[in-house]
Order: sequence, then structure tokens, then C-alpha cells
Amino acid sequence: MLIDKTHKKWLVLSLIILAGATAVYVPYAAKWPHGPSGSSPVGLGFGIAGFAFMIFAALLGARKKVPVWRLGRAQSWMRGHLWLGFLSLPLILFHGGFHFGGPLTTTLMVLLILVVGSGVFGAVLQNYMPNVIRVEVPLETVFEQIDRVRGRLLEEADEFVASASVASGSPLIITTQERGGVIADELPAISEADVMPLQKFYTRDMRPFLEHPGARGHALSESANARAMFQGLRTLLPPALHETVKDLEDICEEERQLRQQVRLHHWLHGWLLFHIPLSLALLLLGAVHAIVALRY
Amino acid sequence: MSPGGAVELTVDGRKVTVPAGTSVFDAARMNGIAIPTLCHQQNETPVGVCRVCVVDVGGRVLTASCVRPAENGMVVNTASDRVRGARRTLVELLMSDHPSPCARQQNTGDCELETLAKQFGITQPRFVHRSTGRGKDDSSPSIAVEFDACILCDRCIRGCSEIRHNFVLGRMGKGAQAGIAFDNNLPMGSSSCVSCGECMVSCPTGALTNKGVTGTALKSATNTQQVTPEELEQLPVFKGVSGTFLSLNRGAVVRRNFKKGEVICREGEYGSTAYYILSGRARVSISSPMAHVKTHGGAKGFFSKLTSALAMRREDKREEETDQRYIHIDAPIDLKYENPVAELGAGDLFGEMTCMSLYPRSATVRAETDCTMLEMLRNVLDIMQRNKNFRAQLDKSYRQRALDSHLRGVPVFASLTDEFISSLRDRVELVHYAKGQVICKQGDVADSFYLVRIGFVKVSQAHPGGELVVAYLSRGDYFGEIGLLQGDVRTATCTALDHVELVRFSGEDFNRMMVQFPDIRKKLEAVEHERLENNRQRLSLVQSVPLESFLAQGLMEAQSLLLLDLDRCTRCDACVRACADAHDGVTRLIREGLRFDHFLVATSCRHCRDPLCMVGCPVGSIRRRNSLEVIIEDWCVGCGLCAQNCPYGNINLHPFEVMVDDPEHAGRKKATMRRKATSCDLCTEHAEPSCVYACPHDAAHRVDPSKYFSGILGIAPPKAPKP
Repeated sequence: MLIDKTHKKWLVLSLIILAGATAVYVPYAAKWPHGPSGSSPVGLGFGIAGFAFMIFAALLGARKKVPVWRLGRAQSWMRGHLWLGFLSLPLILFHGGFHFGGPLTTTLMVLLILVVGSGVFGAVLQNYMPNVIRVEVPLETVFEQIDRVRGRLLEEADEFVASASVASGSPLIITTQERGGVIADELPAISEADVMPLQKFYTRDMRPFLEHPGARGHALSESANARAMFQGLRTLLPPALHETVKDLEDICEEERQLRQQVRLHHWLHGWLLFHIPLSLALLLLGAVHAIVALRY
Repeated sequence: MSPGGAVELTVDGRKVTVPAGTSVFDAARMNGIAIPTLCHQQNETPVGVCRVCVVDVGGRVLTASCVRPAENGMVVNTASDRVRGARRTLVELLMSDHPSPCARQQNTGDCELETLAKQFGITQPRFVHRSTGRGKDDSSPSIAVEFDACILCDRCIRGCSEIRHNFVLGRMGKGAQAGIAFDNNLPMGSSSCVSCGECMVSCPTGALTNKGVTGTALKSATNTQQVTPEELEQLPVFKGVSGTFLSLNRGAVVRRNFKKGEVICREGEYGSTAYYILSGRARVSISSPMAHVKTHGGAKGFFSKLTSALAMRREDKREEETDQRYIHIDAPIDLKYENPVAELGAGDLFGEMTCMSLYPRSATVRAETDCTMLEMLRNVLDIMQRNKNFRAQLDKSYRQRALDSHLRGVPVFASLTDEFISSLRDRVELVHYAKGQVICKQGDVADSFYLVRIGFVKVSQAHPGGELVVAYLSRGDYFGEIGLLQGDVRTATCTALDHVELVRFSGEDFNRMMVQFPDIRKKLEAVEHERLENNRQRLSLVQSVPLESFLAQGLMEAQSLLLLDLDRCTRCDACVRACADAHDGVTRLIREGLRFDHFLVATSCRHCRDPLCMVGCPVGSIRRRNSLEVIIEDWCVGCGLCAQNCPYGNINLHPFEVMVDDPEHAGRKKATMRRKATSCDLCTEHAEPSCVYACPHDAAHRVDPSKYFSGILGIAPPKAPKP
């Protein structure tokens, strides 16, 4: 979510809550006989508030499962998730008096820091990455459709090369729309030998590039390299095939953009693989901690 | 003069005696001497315009034998070198303007002019061909007119006037501009031509030829009987139609017998024929379930009720539904919304729009009793519709049976009294227009009010820089009220988009209605105000929008765009899932589309101001709400025309299962797949579209582009319409 001036209300609310909590914590920490403790009424209050904020933040996932239910706009839930989730960290720190305590509470604190940290990291990514994707991937498609698009690109490329091979032996008529009519240019017939460099380039370099999107270090995956390779290929081919080369170059460009989209998409969503399981673990252990602490 | 009123003359050296008053042409013909001619036919008054029949009677000049009466002692030479030379020159002159081979020569090889030219050995005329053509008239479904092939022989004019007494054809223009014309130089299809075919039968060249329907003849089936032209001529509906014309259209009309219960045509299917019921009764109905694709017919069960309550789903009812009393179909009757079933009987015609404009069938027709029908193609229907007797019968039937429901089916006129409608019954005029014909022109004096009966009408306004399409109107819509209410001129031009039939109310009747029914006047004034305000807004938008891409993407035409801010959108697809969730798992948006600025214009209905999707809907189920949003009504028959017409791919067809009667096992039902068109309905049962509501990143917005982009485009946002 883009954090911009529309978050002003949430920022002010969060600062008020933080200031209020600090205002309570400082005299409490100074005056409480054995120092601040989670078992004291004030400390317990901080713990309950912090855990409530965590639960609220976690409920965003459940909220997303029922998008049509009118339980408040999803963006309000997201704003609450961000700000209240973030606030849970100082509240829990106030709860423990800035001590990590025993193994369980230490684990909980580490988990909380990791969850909040990964959340902040995710928020930062969501703040910038959408713009990066928009600028760097103008041919962006629906992520789930990428494999299908790739398949189509490969088919198109195969067809371009095959049609160039078929065209060899017959003169090529190129028509261009001009003012008032169509101009047809007849280009000299292409021989099989003329098409050979294209076929060789396609078989050796381009097709593997399209076929194995996961492979790294391919020369065509760098746009500068690719431009040079296609320029070199043009010098080996008769002008009648330059249009085909242009089409193949466009296909490679699209494939590069798809790779970039996959990469950026993984960055944009990959952190959730870390954030969500840790959050669940935190909630689970937090509940155990609450029960154990309250009971015993 | 010989006794008994006969005259004696010599033709080509042979003494002949003929009755007084006989023309030289006939005198020669009666004695076995053929004189070539182009403009003369035995069943028409001779006019002597082509001069090909010239003969030498010893005078200073040659004379046209068809108009020159035989005289006693006259010596006629029909084949002298002088005569042959004159004829040859005449034919050569005519051929210099003739598109050889003409349509008739190509089709049947019997163009009389080209046959004569061949006889005279004329292959290449010496004279210069006319530099500019005289054009074609393709407006009639049954007769093709090629003015270049016309030799101005007037045979068609005499056939139309003297033989058929229709008086449609005449001459227009002078000198090189002279030509035949229909009525007051109207396109043939728009003229009062009754398509009797006499002109075409009379024409000696390819100027008037039978179109036929691209080589089609109706398929034979077990219930099909071919009908001969003679049999057709016996039917009152074909009375007055040229037998030759019917012969030329043999196979384009067949007689079909349907057993009780048999389906004659099904809604949503494409076809090209119309049916005329000769005997028996048929039941016309819409069998698609009356439902939106998303069907929340009241939540059942505790969990469903709970989720419905949580979703705050209001009753899925459209505010106009209470006004919608009739579904307009392609038949002489309308179907009641609450019970869309009606009956047709002998003398009824249905399927006109399918036949004339190739629209999908609007309803399912099933034989109620054993039925006999004529099934016909477009050219035959055109002949029938232009037949005065048949037209009168159809009009009478419409006035008696359909005018009432048609008028009351228009919400604005729902309060008209029976007495008033009865008084209109014989006063309204039923008019029809061919595709492309202008019904009324912007700036003309407003003298009538129109109700659309069949077809689609384009309403447009001329502005500097081009034409602005204001609306498309279909059956049940009306126009012409603005000019009449203002007592002024037409504010827009209305053009027939296909075969259009209208009910025309005179200005006098309209004013009478306004005086008698003040509530209707009030409603119409509100509509007038709304239409004028919308037009003004659109115009101001067109004039002020500077960005080419904004226009190129058609965004100016949109009333509501689903925009995804690509700088905010994390591509989480919550919007798509929410849409699917809100519509029984079928999403109505695709997160792909064109980009404008940093927005993605998602593939979802734009509720265009110029909704092309509405053109052609056979049942009028895709329509605008009062708030101008485009919605697909429950009675969609799934023909898919709207999806084809939408330029942005925003309408989809979704299959769903329904139970229908099993024709093989009486009394049993079987599951079958039906399709219905779906498009974004803006989640009307909710306060906010689900896609927007469910977006966690504040990236999805439903916006009016003219307001939303006013900052980017540097334009003032249009003012909201006055209440």
C-alpha cells in the first residue's frame, strides 16, 4: 500500500496512542517497586492491548477471504493492519519493560521483531515496487497468464522462422500504405542459403532463450546484448528478412519483460512467505504465553 | 382507305393490309417483318424514345415505326442501308454509355441492347465513354438499380404506371443528367415502391435486375412444400406482385407445416427468414430464465442468510423494474414482463427483424395447434411488406392489437387512458425507413413525434469537426419530443441504422396529449431536460479534451471506468476475486487493458455514452437505466450480439445449466446449457462496487473519466445535471 498523505489520520492516531502509552509507561516504570513487569496491572494492560493489535492485524487475512462482506472497506483494514500492527511492537516492549524474559517470551519478542520488520520491509516494497513494475514492464500481463503468454510467444517465433523458410525461393512482395493507395515493392527472391543464418541463430540462441525462462546468463536476457546480436544478424540477412528479425527482436523484448515481471512480482510478494508464517507462529505462541501467564 | 377501315401499305416491297390506326411497327410485325426496338413493348403505350425502330417511309427524315401510324399507300423500307446505318449509330451511341457486359448480360445473357450491338457487329463503340458514372441504388432488398445501364427507354416507367398503376417511377433531370427516379428521387428502398417487379421485368438492359438473396434457396425439410408462383399469386398477400418476379424468386419462399408442439424458431438463434402464418396458432415465449446471471432469489438456509446479511446485500431490484411492463420482441405483439407468453394466429407475420437485418431470434415460437406457415427470405418479405394489401393488413393488425401495449410499454406513457389510445388508433401513421435513410434532420421544423416499432435509430448532432452520436434507440424508445415541446426545430438528426418502422404521431396529436395528460408532459419535460443536459455535457467534453490518447482509447465516451492505479496496485487480484465472489464465481472484470497515464483501464463495462452494444439486441434486454448505466436485463436470450458489438471486449457470455422439457420423453425435464451475457453491473445491490470495496491498496476506482481526468487533461469538470 502506498503510504502517502491519505495516511495522515492513521499517523496522528498512532502517535496519540504511542504518546499515551509512553505517558503511562514512563511514570509506571519509574515508580513500580521492582521495575516494569508483564504481570503488573499496567504491564498486563500493555500486553492485552499489544496482543489485541496483533490479532486485529492478523484478521486482515481473514477479511480478504470474504471480500464481498460489508465489514468495512478493505483499504481501511489494510491501514489498520499497518499502523496498529506496527504499534504492537512498542506496546509489547512496554509490556515486558524492554526485557525479553525467559525462552518463550524471548522467542516471542524475536518473532514480533521479525514480523514487524518483515511487515515494514513489505510496506516499503509495496510503496515503490508497483511504480517500478509499471515503468519497467510496459508489456505486463496477468501473472498467472505468464506461462500461457510465453507459450504463445514461442509459437509465434516458430511461425515467423518457418514462414521465412517457406518464403525462400519466391519473390517477396512488401506493401506499404501510402497516401492515396498502396505501394507494392517486389524484393528479390530469397534463397535457402539466405535464410540459414536466421535459422541457425534461432535454433542456437533464441529458441533456448524462449524455451527455458528460468535459465540464467543467457546472452539475450540483456537488452544491450540482444540489440547487438540482432543488429549482427541483420547484416547477415537480405533486407527481405529484416521484418522477420524485427518481429523476433520484439518477441525477445517481451520475454525479457516477462522475466522482469516475474522477478519483481516475486520481490513484491515473496516477503509474505516469511511474514505470514511468522505471524501465525507469533499469534499461536502469544496465545500460549497469555494462557500460561494468566493461569500460572 | 380500303373498305372496313383498313389501310394498305407496302413494307419491304410487300403489300400489306392492316386496320386503320395500326403503327408501322405493328404492321410489319403482323406480316412477319421484325423491326428491332428497345423502348417499345406490346403491352405498353409506344413512346418512340429510343429511335432504334426507325424506318424509311420516303420522307426527309427517318421515322420511328412504333409511333408512326400506317397510312394508305405508304411505302416502308425497314432495312435499307440508310435505316441500318442510323440504327447502328444509335446502338453504338447507347453502347458507348453502357457498362458492357451489364448485370443482365452477365446473369442471363439477354440484355437487349448488347444483343442488338452484337447483331450490328459493334464490339468497341467509336464514341467516348461518359467520364463519370451515374451510380447504383442498392437500397432495395429485391431489385438492384444500375443507372449506368439505363438507356432511358421509359419501359420501367410505363410498366409502373400503366400496367401496375403504382406511379412510383418517373424521369428526373435533363440532358446528360436525365435518369429514372423513384418518387421524388428517393432511394428505391425508401420510396413508395411496392416491389411488384414490373419495372425489372420491363427493363431491356441490366439497369433493373432481380437481386435474389445471394444464391440462396430455403432448405428442404420433411415439413416443407415448394410453392409455385401461381400458387403464391392466389394468396391475397401476393396480390398485385408480378408473376415473373415471383418466378425469379422461386425457392425463396416455402410452405411449412408444423405439428402441434413443434418448435418453429428458438430465441437467440441466428436466422434469415420470416414466417407468415397461413393457418393455425403459435405460442411465442421467452424460455430463458428471468434472472440475472447472478441469481440471489432470496437467501435460503441459516448460513446463506447470515452471509447475505454480512454482505449487506440489498434486494437485487432495479428501480425501473416496476415501470417495465412489456418485453419488446420481433413480432406484432409485446410480451408481458411477468408472464412472457403470447399467441399468434393466421395472418400474423413474425421474425421481420431477423429476416431484414439478420438479428438473432428474439423469442421461441412453438406451434400451439397444427400450423401452416410461409417461410420467406428477405427479398420475398420485402415484396410482401411493400404490397399495399398486405401492408394495410399488417398496419390494421398493429393498430388493433399492438399499439396499446406498445404505448403502455413505454413507462412515460403508462398513464394514457384507453379512450385516448383509441382516438389515436386511426390517427397515427405507420412509417418505415430503409437502412441509412434520414428520418428527421437537425434544424428541420419539428412536426411529429416518433415511437420506434422495429429496428434501431441513430440520433446524432452535427457540430464543427464532425458528427456526435447522442444515442441509439430501439423498439420502445421514442424521439422528437424536444422539438415539439420547445415548439421549435429538431435538435438532432435521426437516421435508420437498419430496417426501421416507426409510429408517427402528428404534432397536433402530441400537443393534445400534452394538454390532456399533464403528468406525461411533466415526465417528458424531465426527459427533455436530461437529454439536453447530457448532450451539452458531451459536447463540452468533446470540445475541450486535448489528449489524443484519451480520445483514441474511447475514454471520452465512458461514463464509468474501472481504473487501477498502477503505482498503488500490488497485483494481488483482490478486485478480481471480489468480483467473482459477488457474481456466483464469474468475474466480470479482467485486470488487463489499455493504459492511460499511470492507470490501467481494466476490462470491465465502461457504461458508454454511445453504447454500441445496445444496437441489435433482439429483445432489448441490454439497455440503459434511468441513471444511464448499461445493464443486461433478465430476459437476455444469450445471442451474443452485444458481446460482438462492444468495442472493448467488456461483455462476456457465460454458460449456465437450466432444466428444460425433454422432447424425447414427454413430461420429463433435462439439463441443458444456456448462455447469458454478463457485464459489470456496478454491484447495484451494494453501495459500492465490490472490486473497489475489496481493494486493500486504494488502487481500484470507479470514476467518471471526464471528472477524474479533468486535472490531467486541463479541462473543467462538467457540471452535474440540474434536478
